[in-house]
Amino acid sequence: MEFYEENPDKVSQADIVVGIPSYNEARFIPYPTQQASLGLVQFFRNYKSVIINVDNHSTDGTREAFFGTETEVPKIYISTPEGIVGKGANLRNLFRKVVELGAKACVVVDADLRSITPRWIKNLAEPVFQDFGFVAPLYVRHKYDGTITNSIGYPLTRSVFGRRVRQPIGGDVGFSGEMAKVFLEHPLWNPMVESYGVDIWMTIVAICQGVPICQSFLGRPKIHKTRDPASEVAPAFKEILGTVFTAMMHFTDYWRKIRWSRPTAIFGFGLGEVELPPPVEVKPQALYERFRQGLAQGMETWKEIFPQEVFSKVSEVAEMDPRRFDFPSDLWAKILFSGAVSYARSESERDRILDSLIPLYYGRVYSYVLRTQEMSMQQAEEYIEEQCTVFEEARPFLDERWPG
Amino acid sequence: MAKILIVDDEEHIRMLYQVELEDEGYEVVTAADGKDLVGRIEREKPDLVVLDIKMAGYNGLDLLQEVRNRFYDLPVILCSAYDSFRRDIKSIAADFYVVKSSDLTQLKRTIARALESVGHTKT
Repeated sequence: MEFYEENPDKVSQADIVVGIPSYNEARFIPYPTQQASLGLVQFFRNYKSVIINVDNHSTDGTREAFFGTETEVPKIYISTPEGIVGKGANLRNLFRKVVELGAKACVVVDADLRSITPRWIKNLAEPVFQDFGFVAPLYVRHKYDGTITNSIGYPLTRSVFGRRVRQPIGGDVGFSGEMAKVFLEHPLWNPMVESYGVDIWMTIVAICQGVPICQSFLGRPKIHKTRDPASEVAPAFKEILGTVFTAMMHFTDYWRKIRWSRPTAIFGFGLGEVELPPPVEVKPQALYERFRQGLAQGMETWKEIFPQEVFSKVSEVAEMDPRRFDFPSDLWAKILFSGAVSYARSESERDRILDSLIPLYYGRVYSYVLRTQEMSMQQAEEYIEEQCTVFEEARPFLDERWPG
Repeated sequence: MAKILIVDDEEHIRMLYQVELEDEGYEVVTAADGKDLVGRIEREKPDLVVLDIKMAGYNGLDLLQEVRNRFYDLPVILCSAYDSFRRDIKSIAADFYVVKSSDLTQLKRTIARALESVGHTKT
């Protein structure tokens, strides 16, 4: 892939890279850039480090805002060509540069991050120097922030690929130079990964590579541009779920041997009082409406892709009174597993299969909101863990149906 | 035959677990505290560790981090009289968390599951 690079300090080697992917983030990028520099200076003073903005040819002045941020650490700007957008495309440029610089560790932080502190750099990079190949974030998130993670990313990553990475789509990660090379050369690269799928793709590739994985507690909540769970999710939903399904096809030999999930190591304690995240507004009625709107069209596809027992249960749920709506975790697991099986079997129908699952996702999130509305964040978290146990116990359903 | 290391500062717990788990066909070794736990594991090479949390002079949750960092894939089951430690973020480095009971059914089931997760089937 072509790219454009500006390296005014002519950096040719680095021990640590902090990468900030962006697309039109001129307003927000100065803050994480400044915090990254402070973190590198405070905690890695004896290391050669560099901050790299990997950008999608932004037109709002992101490049100028990045270079205009005062830092003690040198900076590099790399852009995809005009017209190429996607976080994955940006990270591919980052992987290439990390390998070229011979860096031992790389940290990636989102450009719209408002809660990052210098300590995030320490907590995402230091485990790499303790021989962890991949570092996922552990941060406090509001119970309605990260609904795709809570209902799809985490339960599927855990039950299929066998590692309990709580934030597999975290966006703020660390990885070794060796993992950067693995990412760069990996055969499982496609347009979905190039876009929204890259975060969960990195997590799954790291798991299947067998490198020790650490989850690093960042203390502060992730404060970024949150999304109303009832908002339009189609592009992100399809690319994330499509990435998982495609990874299941690629790594079949790996995950077929998994029966129960395993924990990871944990890093980053002693941060004092943990801040609570700001509330995320949710509109339950909007979720329910999106579920209902997708029923008529969805039924046709669901009849083809779901076993009869699953289709019957979906039909039952569709008829439920919205005030007493309940979308069981076991059903949701079997829906996703059935979707994966159909996806693997039918190349020409993949887009239709992914589209058909969207209304069911809204239904599941609606049910989750009803169930957890009186719950504390801790209680909601326990409910999510119970959901994962149900997914793991439903694994035989997937194993019996998976092609080959 | 899988080898299990029981780490608990209460003698009657160690004895109970040893008798019951040996009856299940496991080889069992015990430790009365967390002293040099990493070294102990290196020497004994257990297939699984059952780790108490509140021990005189030792915090099982902190020991867990040392064990997990050194032995990434070794199954560790936290076993405590208290349910409340389940909410401590450090506990997520354990494979499972079991609340102590005189009925060891849940513990035995959990041990079997943890061993199965690393491809160890009881013979």
